[in-house]
Order: sequence, then structure tokens, then C-alpha cells
Amino acid sequence: MNDEGKIHYLKRGPGESWEELARRLETRLSELEKELGHHPRKEKTPALKLLKTFWFGDENEPVEYDEFGRDINFVKKVKPLFDFLYYNYWRVRVQGVKNVPSEGRGLIVANHSGTLPYDGAMIGLAVHNDHPVRRDVRFLVEDFVYHFPFLGTFMYRIGGVRACQENAERLLRENHLVTVFPEGIKGIGKHFKNRYQLQRFGRAGFIKLALKTGSPLIPTAVIGAEEIHPMIYKSTILARPLGVPYLPVTPTLPLLGPLGLIPLPSKWSIYFGEPFDFHKTYGPDAVNDQLLINRLSEEVRQKIQEMVIEGLKQRRSTWFG
Amino acid sequence: MRKKKESKKTIVLTGTAGFYGSSLLRELEKDPRYPNIIAIDCRKPPFELKKTRFYRMSLTETLADSKLVDLLKNEEIDTFIHMAFPYSPPHNLEAVHDLVSVGTMYILNCCAALKVRKIIMSSTTEVYGAHPSNPNFLSEDYERRGGYKSRFLRDKIEAENQFLAFAKKHPETIVTILRPCTTLGPNVRNYKTTFLQRSVLMRVMGYDPLVQFVHEDDVMRAFKLILENDCPGVYNIVGEGVLPISRVLKIAGKLSLPIPSPLLYPFVQLMWYAGIFAAPSSRLDFLKYLSVADGERAKKIGFKPKYSSKDALLSFLGAQRVKNVRLLERTVS
Repeated sequence: MNDEGKIHYLKRGPGESWEELARRLETRLSELEKELGHHPRKEKTPALKLLKTFWFGDENEPVEYDEFGRDINFVKKVKPLFDFLYYNYWRVRVQGVKNVPSEGRGLIVANHSGTLPYDGAMIGLAVHNDHPVRRDVRFLVEDFVYHFPFLGTFMYRIGGVRACQENAERLLRENHLVTVFPEGIKGIGKHFKNRYQLQRFGRAGFIKLALKTGSPLIPTAVIGAEEIHPMIYKSTILARPLGVPYLPVTPTLPLLGPLGLIPLPSKWSIYFGEPFDFHKTYGPDAVNDQLLINRLSEEVRQKIQEMVIEGLKQRRSTWFG
Repeated sequence: MRKKKESKKTIVLTGTAGFYGSSLLRELEKDPRYPNIIAIDCRKPPFELKKTRFYRMSLTETLADSKLVDLLKNEEIDTFIHMAFPYSPPHNLEAVHDLVSVGTMYILNCCAALKVRKIIMSSTTEVYGAHPSNPNFLSEDYERRGGYKSRFLRDKIEAENQFLAFAKKHPETIVTILRPCTTLGPNVRNYKTTFLQRSVLMRVMGYDPLVQFVHEDDVMRAFKLILENDCPGVYNIVGEGVLPISRVLKIAGKLSLPIPSPLLYPFVQLMWYAGIFAAPSSRLDFLKYLSVADGERAKKIGFKPKYSSKDALLSFLGAQRVKNVRLLERTVS
């Protein structure tokens, strides 16, 4: 309302798009704010308080977290950092993302690598950034992470869930997409000389999950994660008192101290393969057929290994793709 | 699940001076469907009894089982509710071990001799223990690891095992174990409420596990549900939803000091020995790791909690504030 008591409407001009109108509205609003002398106060927040609001959330923001502790506001805060890694640092190239179902449950089975589990986050981002439906993916985390201060908390806030049958089953029954790495620690803690060789697939729990919950399995190959922390030596004896599975020695890690934790900027590609629909072929009763389960698990492993080899054939350079 | 017929049979409660026992007794006193109630404890219930017959008796004395049988042999006992368990960690472990293990043994001997139709026991979800490898929602069949660090919880698990063994041995008896999680509300007092009443709290630095609560009224509702219907088995009694500990402290408006766990453990243990803190350091695990129970099974038998975890917390905090104000008034007058 202006001084003469007349109301000014902002009308959409001919051929003007809604975005332009919105922009005009915003500029008009800021003009009005200046006229009325309303200046939003910008306080200087001390660093400690910034850290505190980052970690514990702001007093005033509505709290949204699900039953596994994923904190949407926290995800919004850390997403720019992960997006930087995704778009600018590792320049992730995604193929076959259409193989990820647009709705309902699904189990993304991938090769595990890279000493630190960045690949789970990147697969999640690939589906979130490049899939037409922009779905969220939950990933399963090794439980040694939860021994550590800050790390375990961070993981569950960004959507990680402790890797066990009960949790994965619950997630799938709630129609989530779940990423699993059947190689587990053996895969992520590979020696650099064994890079891109898939390790044994454990007890094939993921096949049981897929059969029990009727979820399609999406075989996925991640290329490029092996080179972010090339492990040239690992010590298990020194790792034992710390409760970690291994202490890695990479060209940078103990040498440069904390700087060694910065991963190397290799070029990544993520390939999503054709889904396996084992639950349709064999039905839920196949859960008790351990022989069949192990066979299916090996079949999936072979498929991912083939995809990895195919991806490596297409890659001309580690750093430039 | 069979509906119980309206019967004039007796219900026996033990541990009626404790919180769960006295609350349930209060509920049953109000309920005209249960005319014959017997309460057994070594202390009187904290309110006036109208129809309940109270017998003062300690379950730890020698041959308490024979004495109980002599006392109750002329009754037609339908249900026996065993609630004589401490809920906060004790200093005198020996006496509590006697009460929990030996007392439970006496009770079960008595139930076998009197051919009781149904026995109910109150336990706690703490028996699962807090562990980094726990699933996010612990089902009733999950391994109970609470006894690894705490002898008090070991005794409780042992008492549960006695009940489960009894159920195997006497298939005609209906045996129910209820495991409520952290109970909050206007009246409940245990070591966790003592913790939440402090204005400055200590947290374990870098750990922020998800926790759950259940309201005291909901726990009572669950016990009454088990009384009215026959549901053999073990049930977690929990409220809906989970909250991170940091959120709990924020809602409560507490100041919390994050302290690295290698320093906090010995300090808390020292304060426990000095009698200043209400729990030993083994309970710090519950501030570090996940220990959340799954309430699906109780829902299937018709238990619907009216309060979510957050509502239970708010109910407790509101009552707490009112109490604080009253306390101020009393000091003024």
C-alpha cells in the first residue's frame, strides 16, 4: 500500500514468463524493504556457534529426520560439498541410470573401493542428480564406523544405515533404494595391485534380501574410486587397538599428515546395469536354497566384474577419462 | 489370542511399592472387573488400599516360595504379575542379585505349585544393551547383550531366562514378558529422570545416538492389555519415533558439556562410587550407541501407544517444570 491508499498490483505482462514475474516481484519487494527502512540484520556468528549449528542444527529450523536418523536439514548443508566432489573434483560420468527403478524398492549392488567409502555417497548422488525422478538412496555402512566419535553420527545423518539384514530388510520394505557393497571391508581395503578385482561376495545376504523383499538387483560398476587413495601397504596390527579394520598407507597418507586424507582427483564413471529380477524367476521360497543363493551371488559378481572390465576398456586415462 | 471371561479369580502382584507395581495396582483398584487383588512387597504401597489385600513379605528370605504357597493356597489364582525388580542401577549388587535371581526363582516355584494360569513379568529394553553393531530396531528375538558390562542387567536377563525356561517346561501356562523402553511421564522416577533433571548435563563427545521413550500411561495400558487378553511371548513396549540425544537435550533446554569418552568413563564411575551420580559408567554406552527396540509385535496384539517418544518427553518435562514451581512456592511460604 502506498501513501494514497491505492494498491499496486504486479501483473504479468504479455509474453512474460513466470520466472521473470517472480524476479520482478523480488526486486519490488527489496525496493519496498529499503523504502520502509527494513534491513535484515546481519550478525556476525562466532565460529564455534557456526560449528554448533552445523552439527546440532539451528534452533529455529523445523526438525525433519526419519526413523533411521537421516536429517534432511543436515543433508542440505553438506550437499554442496558432495556436489563439488561429484561435478568438479571427480567429474562423475553416469551411464544407464534409467536401470534404477523410478519407484518402489531396489537394491543397488556395487563394487567397493577407495580405502574410504566415498563410492556409496557418489552412487547416491548419481541417482539423485542424474535420475529423472531424483530419488534418494540409502546406503549401508560397516559397523566399525559407529565406534568413532563424529563419524558414526555423520553417517546416519546423511542417510547411512548400519549394514545388517534387519536394517536392510526394513528399508526395502519401506520401498527405499538401498546401496550394498557385498565385498565389504575386503573390497574397500584392497591393495592397489589388486585394483578392480572383485573380492569374494561374503555370505550372499543381499540375494536373500532381494528374494525375501522382492526387490530388483541393479548391478553397478564404479570406475575411478580405486585411485583416490591407492593403498600400497596396510597394517592390521597397528589398527587393532583403534578398532579399525586396517590402517592404510598410501603415497600421501602418513607422509602428509591430515593433508593425506584429501583424495586424489581421478575421473569417475558409474555404470548401472540391467536389473536382475530374481524374485520373479525363483519366488520367495528360494531363500532356503543356499546352493542357489550362492550361485546367484556369483552370477551377480561376474556381471559386475564384466561391467568393471568394460568400463576400464572405455577409459583412456585415470585422471582425464 | 483368547478373550478372557469375566472371572472372580484373584490377581497377585509383587513389587507394589515400585513405580510400575504401584501404578498398575492403582489402575486395578479403580477397575471393578478385578475384585480380588493381592499385593506382595516388603513396603506398603504408597496410597490407601480399598479392595486389595496387602501382605508384607520379602522375596529374598529363605523359603519364601513355601511361605507364598501357604499364603495363597486357598485362593483361586488366575494371574501372577511379577514386578519386584529395581529399575535403577543399585549400589548393593548382592542384595539386588538375591532379589532378582532368587526372588524370581521363588516366584516361579510358587506359580508351578499353585498351577497359576498366567504369569507376567516386567523387564526393560535395556537388556539388549547399547552396541555399535545393533540394528536400528531391535526385535524381541535379538541377542540380549546388556549383561556384558553390567551385572545388574545380567541378573535381569537371567530372570527373563528363568521365565522363558518356565514357559518351555509348562506349556499350559501363559507366560508374558513385557519390555518397556525408557519410561517417562509426570510421576515416574528412575535414574534416567534423575539425569534429565540436572540443569547441566554431560554428553559423550561426538556421539549422538537415537533414543526412544514410552509414556508411563502407555506402559500401564500395555499391562492391562496383557491382563485382559492372553498373549504369550515377549513384547517390546515403545513409543512411536526416535530422537537424537542432542535433540532431547535441546527440547529439555539443558546445557550439555561434551566430554571425550576416555575421560568421561572414569569420572562417571568415580562419581557413582561417591554416590553423586545415579548410574555407573556402563550406562554411558546408552549415550554413545544405538539401543532402540522395535514395537511392531506389540502393535499386532492391539497395543497402540497414545504418546510418541517426543510427546512422552514433553509430558515429563512439563510436569517437571510444574514441580519446580511448586518447590519454589514451598520454599517461599
